[in-house]
Amino acid sequence: MNKKKILIFDDDKVILEVISIIFEEGGYDVEISETSHDIIQKVSAFQPDVILMDNWIPNIGGVEATKLLKSHEEYKNIPVIYVTANNDIVALAASAQADDYVAKPFNLDDLEEKVAKHIKD
Amino acid sequence: MKTQMSNTELIIIGGSAGSLQVIMEMIKKIDENMNFPIVLVVHRKAYSTSILPTLLQQFTSMKVIEIEDKTELQNNEIYIVPADYHLLFESKNTVSLDSSEKMNYSRPSIDVTFKSAAEIFGENLIGVLLSGANADGVEGLKYIKKNKGKVWIQNPETAEVDYMPKQAVGQVDYDLLIEPRDLAELINQL
Repeated sequence: MNKKKILIFDDDKVILEVISIIFEEGGYDVEISETSHDIIQKVSAFQPDVILMDNWIPNIGGVEATKLLKSHEEYKNIPVIYVTANNDIVALAASAQADDYVAKPFNLDDLEEKVAKHIKD
Repeated sequence: MKTQMSNTELIIIGGSAGSLQVIMEMIKKIDENMNFPIVLVVHRKAYSTSILPTLLQQFTSMKVIEIEDKTELQNNEIYIVPADYHLLFESKNTVSLDSSEKMNYSRPSIDVTFKSAAEIFGENLIGVLLSGANADGVEGLKYIKKNKGKVWIQNPETAEVDYMPKQAVGQVDYDLLIEPRDLAELINQL
């Protein structure tokens, strides 16, 4: 069975490293990016099953990066889980047209559960 | 079972890129009756949020605490140096945070904390250097040895980024070359 793929956008290397380890140990194929630059190309190359998007991702920010993805005919159905410590997380996730959201600092079990929920069998 | 009384009063673990995997594995397997604190000095971005203690806390019932100025260290607890500060020891259980210049392009600097602790703990200190992309920590390890402390270095062959442990192995008279999977057990035996 092919591994499910998760693409993580976050500018914090600590978060990228910890989440990568957790999901790799959970049997996922993980790709990371510290910037939203070339997001379409990255998604095209990796073909993720789910995306974690940080609000403060450099280049164009999480809201715009998610909108860009959601306006793309080929990739608009890939679930995007919005991740931020911002109190306006619900509004930000809605504005970005994200499929779900997780508040920082997150519980790793909750994060895994949310990712699993959005990955289609 | 512990085979001998340990004189260890403090373990400081320094690391940069690639070190968190080793730290996470260690925290999961460490016995929760340590007779000393563990201090983690991990390079991270200046504006990093304090998410690291929250993440690591999820692997242990021991307390994982981000150090504040004048925090008093307790045995059987794990401490993390906050982003953008150097950690200095004032006494065996009192520390201070310092925002002076970066050392080795780093703040926190592993060297700064290793040297500061070496002067106070002497032979009762263990300095551990893990995976990383610069040489921060190498001079500090030399200083720990000079003060009769013990030096453990991650085997560079097992490091995700081998520059830091390679530099240390080449320059420091170390006591142990450690494999990541063995770190918790080595600590449990102290």
